[in-house]
Amino acid sequence: MKKKGSRPYLYLTPSLVVIGLIVIFPILYTGYISLTNMNIYHWFHPEFVGLQNYAKAIFVFDSGFISALLRTVLWTVINMVLQMVIAYIIAVLLNTEGLRAHKLYKTILMFPWAMPGYVSILLWKMGMFNNEYGLLNQWLGKLGLNGVRWLDGNVSAFLSCTLVNLWLALPFMIMIIDGALQSVDKSYYESATLEGAGFFTKLRKITIPLVRPVIAPAVVITIFTTFKQFDIIYLLTQQQGSKTGADIHTVITYTYEKAFVTNNYGYSAAVSVIIFLLLILFSVFTNKELKEGYR
Amino acid sequence: MKRVLASVLSVLVMLGALAGCQQDKKAALSAKPVESGASSMAKKEAVNLTIWYENDQKIGDALQAQLNDLSPDVKVTVQRKDKMTDALKLVGNDPQSAPDMFFFAHDKTGLYAEMGILAPITDFISKDSLSDFIPMTLSAGTYKDTLYQLPIYFETQMFMYNKKLMSTPPKTTDDLLKFAQSNTKNGTYGFVEQHSTAYYAVSWIHAFGGYIIDKDAKPGLNLQGTVDSLKYHKQFVKYQPSDGDYNTMTALFKEGKAASTINLPNLAVDAKKSGIDVGFAPLPTVNSTGKQLSPYAGIQGVYVLKSSESGKKEAITSVLKALMKPEVGVAMSKITNDAPANNKAYSDASVSSDEIVMNLKNSADTVVPMPNVPAMDVMWSVTENMLSAVNKKGGDPTTEAAKAQKNALSQIADMK
Repeated sequence: MKKKGSRPYLYLTPSLVVIGLIVIFPILYTGYISLTNMNIYHWFHPEFVGLQNYAKAIFVFDSGFISALLRTVLWTVINMVLQMVIAYIIAVLLNTEGLRAHKLYKTILMFPWAMPGYVSILLWKMGMFNNEYGLLNQWLGKLGLNGVRWLDGNVSAFLSCTLVNLWLALPFMIMIIDGALQSVDKSYYESATLEGAGFFTKLRKITIPLVRPVIAPAVVITIFTTFKQFDIIYLLTQQQGSKTGADIHTVITYTYEKAFVTNNYGYSAAVSVIIFLLLILFSVFTNKELKEGYR
Repeated sequence: MKRVLASVLSVLVMLGALAGCQQDKKAALSAKPVESGASSMAKKEAVNLTIWYENDQKIGDALQAQLNDLSPDVKVTVQRKDKMTDALKLVGNDPQSAPDMFFFAHDKTGLYAEMGILAPITDFISKDSLSDFIPMTLSAGTYKDTLYQLPIYFETQMFMYNKKLMSTPPKTTDDLLKFAQSNTKNGTYGFVEQHSTAYYAVSWIHAFGGYIIDKDAKPGLNLQGTVDSLKYHKQFVKYQPSDGDYNTMTALFKEGKAASTINLPNLAVDAKKSGIDVGFAPLPTVNSTGKQLSPYAGIQGVYVLKSSESGKKEAITSVLKALMKPEVGVAMSKITNDAPANNKAYSDASVSSDEIVMNLKNSADTVVPMPNVPAMDVMWSVTENMLSAVNKKGGDPTTEAAKAQKNALSQIADMK
């Protein structure tokens, strides 16, 4: 094989420089800030304080952090299970033979994805969950029932947030599963039918093994976005000026309220680095699991 | 040939990517303040000043109109800047990127003063020249005994009612409670307010002798007065929509479904446009303490950045003197419906005949300027957590207040 020398690296350099500037540099700079006392009292001339901010940040991870972490795991599991099951059912229905106007259905189902998340969440908050004007309580009122304080209680707020997350996230999952289902050769199902296999046998023996490699990366991406979800929980229950009283902090909203409102950039950077490391660990773990799954 | 072309293109792309990092020397030079040695030249040349603001465009336009007369000696550009507070944190000490002055509410005074980016306005104008200003507006922009803000106008909350639904406004909070009890039914309300928002609930806290944070950055959430206000105020929440958010409460008043409310002047203007016959009354007095509800006031005014102090002193002084004139307060009041900070502005007929503005002016002695200490930044969220836990989740006021105080102290410590 001919030796290519350093030329490939020269070609790659522009991309590497750009990646370095927009990805690597901010991470390194955050790491640097986390070792300084950069706060409003030492804003333009921060001093090096070693690991002092990290020691302080560890105290952020108190009992409140542990419950937020457990809630985040529960949030991620519930959302992922519901997303997978509902998206699979809808994708299967969309692939029903002879279904008319299926492209129209697909377009409509993609609609929530096309809307800016911020707008969708606030529409849900005012349009659906508002105790006074919300559609849900208006319906209950018409049925002669008392309105529900959807976002005030911990359980009802958690379920309401889950509903909004599903509404926002399902289009992506439906699209991926739909594409994966279409990639499965129909002759497998025909042969299985001839062999007398039922719906669940075909699902277990043909569909799942064949679609798994296609949807696995999308599932990993969605797990990450669900784990890191900030907008839905913050805007529905914790937005300043309209806090609802529900305490359903996830790791991200908890650390935001604990660290980021303090204007202490050194301290906030240390918290960010710790969360970053947690996510890196999680990423390494899921990558390993995925590789083992492919074998 | 292809390899040569690819190599050349790679280098060009790399240079292109880095070109943006180059400093514009020409721009940097022109942005430099005029040195004192060239003072004779400077007198002839126009001095360019930039003022940032974040509010509505019409406010910026009105400021610009007031400062155009300074041309040709001083050319002022009033420039709207999104996320100005963050931008000032990043470039506040950089003469090449920062403006010379900015227009903002007084509550960030301590934050910027501690960062060291503000110049006291008394470096440019004497304190005596501000004797016509309402004292409350001057104390608002004072941090650690130094005046940093030239106040232009202020706003605060007022008691407003729908004359069709409320014939006589209540003088006391007990009267208001009775009215709310007997007039809240079938989707209409006797009284609505943003009951669980710190900015609004604080007027109740003050009337009971409590406070959110004092001028020495000491939180007062667990004070007896604060706890008493939470207990008493909770009775009102029962007769209001539990959401307590801005949209719900203002919509109820504008749609004629709420007889009375406590809110900012703009709501009265919007309600009048919606056909509501709006009346105004002094904020009610708490029976048990004999004190009137006293809300926060927000004072809008102009600041000078330390980075542009040298070389532009004369120009900045002329801008401040222009903005001190009563005409500026009159012009701004017409746009914002807020009250001018300069007492002389009230001799203008358009101001003195404005019911909303005069109501604001009359409350100037009882309102409390929003705290301008940096620690206030963490208090909004902590206080609101306490209020929503008590008002929306039925939490015990004493327990929630103690929890909030502990949280506040910990977050204030985390700021350092």
